[in-house]
Amino acid sequence: MKVIGRILAALSLAVLLVAGSAAAQPGPQPGGTIVMALGADPETLNPGITTGYAVGAITANIFSGLIRLGPRGEVLPQLATSWQVAPDARTYTFTLRRGVRWHDGRAFSAADVKFSLEEIAGKFHGRFRIAYANVESVTTPNAGTVVIRMKTPFAPFLQMLDTFNAPIMARHLFAGEDIARSPRNVQPVGTGPYAFQSWARGDRVVLVRNPNYWEPVYADRLIFRIIPNAAQRSTALETGEVDVVTDFYLAKTDVPRLRQNKNLRVRFGQPIPALDFMFINTRRGPLASAKVRQALAFAINREQIVAQAMAGIARPARGPFGDGFKYAYTPEADYTRLYPYSPERAATLLQEAGVARESLRLSMVFDAARAPLAAAAQIIRDNLRQVGITVDLVPLERSVMIDRVYTRGEYDLTVQSFTSNTDPAIGYHRIYLTAPAGQPFVNATGYSNPEVDRLLALAGQTPAVSERAKIYAQVNAILARDLPTLILFDEVGVDAARAHLRNLWQGLDARDAWWLTWVAK
Amino acid sequence: MGIIVVNFLLIALAPGDPVTVLLGEYPAPPEYVARLRDQFGLDRPVHIRLGRYVANVAQGNLGFSFAYQVPVVRLVLERLGNTLLLMGTAMTLAALAGVLLGVAAARRPHSRLDTGATALSLVGYSIPEFWLGQLLVLLFAVALAWLPAQGIRSTREEYTGLAAALDLGRHLILPAAALAFRYIALIARITRAAMLEVMHQDFILAARARGVEERRVLWRHGLRNAAIPVATVIGYNYAFILAGSALVETVFGWPGVGRLLFDAILQRDTPVLLGVLLLVSVTVVLVNLVTDVLYAYLDPRVRY
Amino acid sequence: MAVSVETVTAFAAPRALRDFWRRYRRNRLAVAGLLLVLALALVALLAPLLAPYDPISTSLDSLQPPGTSRHPLGTDDLGRDILSGVIWGTRVSLLVGVTAAATAVVIGIVLGAVAGFYGGRTDALIMRLTELFQTIPRFVLALLVVALFGRGLAKLVLVIGLLAWPQAARLVRGQFLAQTSSPYVDAARALGLPGWRIIFSEVLPNILAPVIVLASLDVAQAILLEASLGFFGLGDPNLVSWGGMLNQAQAYLRTAWWMSVFPGLGIALAVLGFNLVGDGLNDAVNPRLHE
Repeated sequence: MKVIGRILAALSLAVLLVAGSAAAQPGPQPGGTIVMALGADPETLNPGITTGYAVGAITANIFSGLIRLGPRGEVLPQLATSWQVAPDARTYTFTLRRGVRWHDGRAFSAADVKFSLEEIAGKFHGRFRIAYANVESVTTPNAGTVVIRMKTPFAPFLQMLDTFNAPIMARHLFAGEDIARSPRNVQPVGTGPYAFQSWARGDRVVLVRNPNYWEPVYADRLIFRIIPNAAQRSTALETGEVDVVTDFYLAKTDVPRLRQNKNLRVRFGQPIPALDFMFINTRRGPLASAKVRQALAFAINREQIVAQAMAGIARPARGPFGDGFKYAYTPEADYTRLYPYSPERAATLLQEAGVARESLRLSMVFDAARAPLAAAAQIIRDNLRQVGITVDLVPLERSVMIDRVYTRGEYDLTVQSFTSNTDPAIGYHRIYLTAPAGQPFVNATGYSNPEVDRLLALAGQTPAVSERAKIYAQVNAILARDLPTLILFDEVGVDAARAHLRNLWQGLDARDAWWLTWVAK
Repeated sequence: MGIIVVNFLLIALAPGDPVTVLLGEYPAPPEYVARLRDQFGLDRPVHIRLGRYVANVAQGNLGFSFAYQVPVVRLVLERLGNTLLLMGTAMTLAALAGVLLGVAAARRPHSRLDTGATALSLVGYSIPEFWLGQLLVLLFAVALAWLPAQGIRSTREEYTGLAAALDLGRHLILPAAALAFRYIALIARITRAAMLEVMHQDFILAARARGVEERRVLWRHGLRNAAIPVATVIGYNYAFILAGSALVETVFGWPGVGRLLFDAILQRDTPVLLGVLLLVSVTVVLVNLVTDVLYAYLDPRVRY
Repeated sequence: MAVSVETVTAFAAPRALRDFWRRYRRNRLAVAGLLLVLALALVALLAPLLAPYDPISTSLDSLQPPGTSRHPLGTDDLGRDILSGVIWGTRVSLLVGVTAAATAVVIGIVLGAVAGFYGGRTDALIMRLTELFQTIPRFVLALLVVALFGRGLAKLVLVIGLLAWPQAARLVRGQFLAQTSSPYVDAARALGLPGWRIIFSEVLPNILAPVIVLASLDVAQAILLEASLGFFGLGDPNLVSWGGMLNQAQAYLRTAWWMSVFPGLGIALAVLGFNLVGDGLNDAVNPRLHE
């Protein structure tokens, strides 16, 4: 009786499932065009030499990695169909997909992988280079196998082999060329689901379906429209001129309006962590005192910044690494407990530090083209004015900003943002690590603490998450007290797309896996 | 030549390193940075770079864009067409509407029509084109949804022939109107003044005395003379119109020279910056020259 | 602009101030322009008294539509009062407009006078220089300089002033060429007066009227240029300016039209005011054109 009951239950469940899927959409439909908005022309179409966002958005469809990351960060096969990782995490063996061809018809092989890792991504890619520093050798026992040996284990190495970090490029097109200036950088030839068709600068990039791709590719064409103005990108989405606007290019301040629109789908919480923070130049006068820096933390209303600069779509910072990586968050070092918004306590601290507030005049440098950072800077100016500190806003063009902040260190405060996909060791440690002078996008505060350096290096080499959490607890205690950098908020990814697109966002990165999305008629 | 040197030094002496813009937000390998710098010739002293640049320009080579990795000449010409289309449409519009308004006003000075036209032209002359652009977008693209708010052509449809031209036209209306408005005002004012002056001159009086129909006098004789101020207004204001176009292009996301220039400033794309500035100067000189010739050709003292 | 300068050059001889005012007063538009300019100047002077809020003071009341008694013109994305911003923006616009135009006119007078008075090679050199400056649109050059060398009120004034002088120089030179051949200059020369004294005490007063006309039109141009730079995000970041407010409004065009409309209205009124005054002055000094 029991058995029969179970069978009945299973049957009815199956019937339900079938009915459900029949009532839902008809299956995948080929054809149509998907239009995505970009904020700027890509600076190149070679993803192996840059971490630029627009470049990745386009080339993720043209090139493939050995692996790709699924919607929840799971490692899925791409050019490699399977892999083994040795127990000591020092050897990775990849079996490559058979019968793959480049868009120009040539056969893909292990030699392409070796060349791409050694000569392109390992040398030129801002993120992959960090991972590649741990690699001892890349060997190709046969055309279908790649073996990577590590000098030291690197926790997030496997995840770093996706198309955004280690795109596989054609050896026959790049070998012997000066990679940085190869004509192939604007005429890309990949193995991916879409092939490059045209690029009208300032207007659009067009890709067409690769008929030889190993999985079905639904949409006929992908078009990337270049729309520099963020508000106009939102409008284009509403009028249907554009189908997709991805997080980085989506004006957060338009999101409340877009959510009301029935023709659109808006999803929150795309899990690519990004931190927005304020470097405090510890080499400068009163800012050398941790007490003064703590006073700034009390004085700055981070909830207001989130509410107004980000239209509420962000999380006020919870600590030195935010809360995007659970193991890098420590309750004892939580900013909301340590530094709640309190102009009074800020004033008291400044008094204790013996700072004459009325004579304190700080410069606030930021990239003029980044609207949310500009808004944050203006709120900070007003917040600090409430405690008697004068802030001079210094908006600068990107290259000038980099020169002022990173090369010359001529600033008091600056708002910046860093991303760190897959692991804080990739993108967040650099906020605090002792940095060589003049290097862009590293710690620009002049803060240097050997203990912090040691602990962060240890955290990067420790694979076990529970062990890492303990290390981060120690670092966080120091960093939350010293505050060379005040984290302002964790970004919350938001992506928006027209509702007639189906099977959206099948990759960890919203720029990935568009061949799996189809256009409902 | 002088222009080239001034521009070059101005940009070369400004703070900021063009290479840093190309590197994304992760620290880039020093070898790569060095290689880029070598590639762009940024590791050599300024005077050598200047010499090389001038020599290249003399051969018609404006260099290679840092940001797009294509020859500057190609990039600039791609965009120049769009800007000329916008400016040409706007100026045709301005000439037609301005002359019509001006002639109408001049026919009966101090009539209600005249006062209205004068007031309108004063207002038009004082409204910044980028703000007008915003207002037009608010009204025609946002509130009424009649016309596209930005871009140069529709994305999804692959139009050809007439349909493509119509599509382009729809995208052209708002930016062209925003750019034209100031010059409608200006041309109307000048046409009015010129007409008033001309209408009192002997040859007009003579024509009237011969019994030539009033309308004929107005259009045939008067208007011919109004052509001079119109041509000169457009000709000598070319530099201003170009600047206005840069502003309008920004509001409407129009991929023209103005936006290229603005993007080039943001990306510190020195070769493109220099190329655009050079092109702008050359066209200003050329247009002024053409205007001078046209002026001589149209001048009544030559014709009558 | 070009046209006004051309019409101005037809100006002939100095006239008594009262005469001048009588003619100016007859022109209703010119009077309206003068009143507008005076009103704006008053607003600029009294900004701290008139503005209900500190214009950079943020609040949690962001994007409030206009029409409330607390914020008659609404608030912006950071909860700042638009009315207060428009009032304080008057100050920046007029300050930049007037000082930049003054800079341009002073440089223009000096160089134009030198060119016109001495002629020959000096003249050729200065004229080459004006041509050089006029081949690149002022706005483009200003954009470049401010973007590359940094923003700030003083820089704005300097850049706008330095770029606008050629017009004044050409005008003054033209006047000088006409005047230097006149009998009274010949007489002064015969008396052995030094060049600079002839320039300043004999010739300049006679050509001041067209220069003043040009100056008031230059103010309008400078206000427009400052607003354009502000619109591109290149205004003084520590002051509230109309152009800067419009720049911020770009992102909120669909959600908060009031962020765009009111500052733009400010620009239009100021430019209109100075243009009207310039035209009125022009008509008054040059009655031939006034039908």
